[in-house]
Amino acid sequence: MVAIEDLRKCVKDGLQFVKSQKDVRDAEIFASWNDQLTVRINYTSDIPCNGVQEPKNISGYGVGVLVVFDTSDGIKIGFGSDTGDLTLEGLERALDKARRGAVNDPDFKSLPFSSDESPKLISYHDRRVMDLEDEEMVSLGWRALKGALMTFKESGYKRSLIVGGDVTILKEKIAIANTLGIDNYDESTALMSSITAMVEEKDAKGTGWATATHIDNFKPEESGEMAARSAISTIGGKRIESGKYNVVFGRQAVATLFSELIVSSLSLSSIDSGNSPFVGRLGERVASDIVCIYDDGARAGEVSSKKITCEGLPTGRTDLIEKGRLVGFLANHYYSKKYESNVRKFTPRNGFRFGGGGRDFRHPASISATNIVIEGTREVTSEKLISRIKNGIYIGRLWYLYPVHGLARADFTGTVIGDSYIIRNGKLVEPLKPNTVRISDNFVKLLQNITAISKEKKSTITWGSEEVVIAPELAVKGINLENVAEFVEEL
Amino acid sequence: MKERITVDSIEQIKERIYNLVLDSQRSLKNCHHIDVRIEVSESKFAMAQKGAPKESGEESRMSLGVRVIAGDVFRATGYFGSHLGLSDLRNIEKIIQKGIEHAWRRALANASWKAEMKRVLDSIGESIQSTNLAQVENHKDIVVLGFKEDPRVIPLQTIIKEAVGVSESVEKLYESHGYNMIYLYTTFVRELFASSEGALIDQTYPLTEGFAHIVVGDESHYDHLGAKCGWEAIYGENPFNKTFRDFAMELAKETIELSKAEVLPSTSKEVVVITDPHFNALLAHEIIGHPVEADRALKMETAYAGRSWLFKRFNENQIGKRVASDLVTAYSDASLTGYGQYKYDSEGVRAKKVVHIDRGIFRGFLNSRETAAILGEEPNGSMRATDAYLIPLIRMTNTVIAPGNRNPEDIIKEIDDGYYLANHRTPSIGESRENFSMSARRVYKVKNGEFVKLYRSGGITSDSKDYLMKIDAVGNDFQIIPMPNCGKGSPMQALRVGNGGPTMRSRAKLTGGK
Repeated sequence: MVAIEDLRKCVKDGLQFVKSQKDVRDAEIFASWNDQLTVRINYTSDIPCNGVQEPKNISGYGVGVLVVFDTSDGIKIGFGSDTGDLTLEGLERALDKARRGAVNDPDFKSLPFSSDESPKLISYHDRRVMDLEDEEMVSLGWRALKGALMTFKESGYKRSLIVGGDVTILKEKIAIANTLGIDNYDESTALMSSITAMVEEKDAKGTGWATATHIDNFKPEESGEMAARSAISTIGGKRIESGKYNVVFGRQAVATLFSELIVSSLSLSSIDSGNSPFVGRLGERVASDIVCIYDDGARAGEVSSKKITCEGLPTGRTDLIEKGRLVGFLANHYYSKKYESNVRKFTPRNGFRFGGGGRDFRHPASISATNIVIEGTREVTSEKLISRIKNGIYIGRLWYLYPVHGLARADFTGTVIGDSYIIRNGKLVEPLKPNTVRISDNFVKLLQNITAISKEKKSTITWGSEEVVIAPELAVKGINLENVAEFVEEL
Repeated sequence: MKERITVDSIEQIKERIYNLVLDSQRSLKNCHHIDVRIEVSESKFAMAQKGAPKESGEESRMSLGVRVIAGDVFRATGYFGSHLGLSDLRNIEKIIQKGIEHAWRRALANASWKAEMKRVLDSIGESIQSTNLAQVENHKDIVVLGFKEDPRVIPLQTIIKEAVGVSESVEKLYESHGYNMIYLYTTFVRELFASSEGALIDQTYPLTEGFAHIVVGDESHYDHLGAKCGWEAIYGENPFNKTFRDFAMELAKETIELSKAEVLPSTSKEVVVITDPHFNALLAHEIIGHPVEADRALKMETAYAGRSWLFKRFNENQIGKRVASDLVTAYSDASLTGYGQYKYDSEGVRAKKVVHIDRGIFRGFLNSRETAAILGEEPNGSMRATDAYLIPLIRMTNTVIAPGNRNPEDIIKEIDDGYYLANHRTPSIGESRENFSMSARRVYKVKNGEFVKLYRSGGITSDSKDYLMKIDAVGNDFQIIPMPNCGKGSPMQALRVGNGGPTMRSRAKLTGGK
C-alpha cells in the first residue's frame, strides 16, 4: 500500500518540476493507488464446485500528467502516465509521453481551477478496510455464501441450488495538484456484495445485495439471505401472455434501466456526440412531472461518494430532471467549459477516471455518474404503489438491457430474469417465471409514463456499472412485454 | 525517448520467473500449483472528432497475474493481479514473490473455509470440493505472429494524421450536420506464461484496429475494423479488404442514407429473413459462442454472463441432440486468422478446434482445465484474459458458423416476400441464450428476389433453437469479423474475439417501430 503522503508529495514535487519546463503553460498532476479486491462466489449443489471460486485483486499505483504545452504550432494538450513510480523519474517519463502525444484540440479551454466551494466529505473512509488482510477478504465472500446456503438449508432446499455473485472491496487513494490552484487528496473505501441465488429445477431466481463504506456496517451474509429468500419466494413462476402491461419496476430493475440506458444519455459527452434522446431538450419536459433525478457524489455513507472528483473539484449534487423537466447534464471540466455560455453553466462534478481497478492514473478524466438518486414529488409506500397498479407485472430484475437502435432513439430491449411477480387486484399473487418475458420499449416514453414512485429506496448496484442507483420502485403504465422461449419447457 | 518497458523486457526475465515459480511451489507449505502470467504491450493511438485531433499517445505497459492452488485437506485457489511499471521491472522477482504469497495466503484461507463450510452445511455442502485441474501436456515454446509494418516503428504523427484525415473527410460528407469520432490503435503484445508444472510459453502478436462512430440526426452507427497484424491493417490487410478510410466513409454514407429511411415496422408473426455474414458473426457470437462456454453450462456465470440452455444438468442436456437444422455446423478454431487466433491459452494449454454443432447436432463446449475435469473432457485451450492482471475466463476463439454451398444471390433471388438484414448492430440475449433480439444496420424489403425498400432501426427476434432449426439455406460466402468488445467476468473484461459465418436464411419476427 502507498501512503497518501507519498501521493501528495508526488503531485507537489511533480508540479514544481513540470512548471519549470520551458514549454509548459499549465499542468495537472494526478497520482493514485488502488486495490480492488473481488471474491467471486460459485456454489452449485449438483455440480462439483469451489464455493468461493476466486479471491483476487487488481492493484496498481502511479502518476498521470495532463499538460498544456506552448509550441510553435500553438497550444497543444498532452497526457502521459507512469506506473509503479512516484519519483521524479516516473514523472519525467509521464511528461515525455505527454509531450510526444500532445495535440491541438480546438475545444480545450483550460484545466480545472480551484473554487471557493469546499468538499463536503472529509475523512470518510475506513482505515480497517485499507488494511484488510487476505484472510479477511476471503471470509467476506464465504459469509455471503453462507447466508444464502443457511437460508436454503433452514427452508429445506438441498438440491438444484445455485449461488453466484461476488463481494467487492475498493480501496482508493488519490492526490491531485495543478497550476491553477487545485491541490487536494482523497481516500475512499467501499464494500459491495451482489448475490444471485436459484432453485434451478423450480425456475426460481432471487437477487440480494449489500453496500457499505465501513466494514462494521457491511453484512455480506444479509445479501446471501436476501437472494435465497427471494429465490424461494419465486418458486412456481407462471408465464404471461404477450401484451401491454402496467409494470412496477423493482430496485434492481430500476438500477439496470438507469445504469444501462438513462444515465449515459444524461452525460454531456453523449450530448456532445448527438447520441442522446435529450439533445436540444434542456428545459423541456422529458418525464412525468412527479419525477426528480439527480446525481450526488457527496451523499454521506454511499459507496460511490467521494470527497473530490478526479479533477480535484468538490463532488456534489447535479440536478438532471426536476419535476419532469430536463435541467442538467453530468459534466467534467472539459465539457462544462465547451458548453458554457452566458446563460448556461454545467458544474463539473463528474470528472472521474474509473477503470483498471479504481481511480486510474493512466487516463485523463471522463464523465461518470456517482450516486444517482430518483425521487418523486409525491411518493407512496411500496404497498400503495403496487395496489395502485391493480393488475400488472412486478419486474424485479432485468437482463442484457440495450439501446438496440442507438441511445438517441431510446428504444431498448432485454429480458426479465428473476425476482418478479404477477400483480392482481393490487397484490403480488404469484411469481413470474424467469427468462420467459422480453421487454421492448422506449425509455423516454417510460420516463413519461411513470405514475408512482415509492418512498422506500435502497442503494443498488448492477453488474459492470460504476455508479450506485438510490433506487425506489417505479410504477409505469403501458410497457410492452412478450412471452418468449417456450421451447425450453420441452427440452 | 526516456528508458521504458519494451516487449524485449520479457526476454531478460523469463528464465528467472520460471525458476521462481518452481522454487516457490516447492517452498510454500501445502502449495500444489502456481502459474504466473506477465504481459507487456507497446501501443500507440490517436483519436479525432469532427476533423480535429483530440488525444494521442504512446504507451508501454506491463502487468502481472498469479494463480495459486493450495490447501491441506481441501485445495482452493487464490489469485493476485497488478499493474507494473519500469521500476517494478528492476525488482521483478521480489514483486512476483510478493504476489505469489498473497495468492497463496488467499488460497489457504479459501481452503480452510471449504473445510469449515462442509462441516456446517452437512449434505448441502457435499458439492464443495477440492479444486482440480485436468492434466495437460506442459509446453515450452516461443510463438511469434508475423507482421509487415511493425506497430512499434510507426510514427505517432502518422497515426494522428490518418485519424484526423479520415475524420475530416467524413465531416465533409454530412456538411457538419453530424458527429464523427475516429480512433486508431496499434499495439505489439508479448505474453509470458510460466507454471510450476513446467510450462514456459512466450507468445508475441501485433494488433491494429480502427473505430468509427458516426451520428447523423438520431441515426448513430459504430463499427470497427481490425486484425492481428501490423499497421498494414489500416491500409487494407484486414477481413474487410478495405482501407480504414474507405470503411469509415462507407459507414458515414450509410448513416446519412439511413437517417432519411423509414423505421422498419415490427411484425407479430415470423417472416422470411436473410442475414449477411456481418450480421451472422454477431449471431454466431451470441447464440452459439456464448452458450458453448463450459463455465456458463456449469452455472458458474449465473450471476453475471448467464447460463446455457444447452446444459441443464449432467443427465439432462443437449449433447448429441439436434439443436439446429442439418445445414448448420459451427465450431471454434484458434488456428484461423482472426482476433481469436493464438497457439496457447492463458493456462498454457494448446488450443484445439472445437466442433460445437455438427450438421445440426450439438457436440461440445469450450472449456478450461477446471471445467474439463468436471465434465470429464480433454482441455481445449479456451481460457483467456484481457490482460495479465485479470484472471482468465473461458472465451470464444474464432467461433463461427461454417459455410454452406449456396450462392448468396440465389438465396435472395428465390424469395417472393421477405427481408434482408445487413451488418449487425446491437444484441440483447436471454440469460441462458434461449432467446435473442438483434438489430441490423440496414434492413431491405425483398420482393420477388429483389431489394425494393431500405429501412432503418430494425432487427429480428426469435427463440434461439427455433431460429437455428429453421435455417434452410447457408451461403458459400464465409467471412470472419473482428469483434472488439466481448464482455464477461467481474470486474468486466472486454476481450477481442473472432466470429463469422456465411449468408443464411431463416424465419423470425421483425423488430423496429411499434
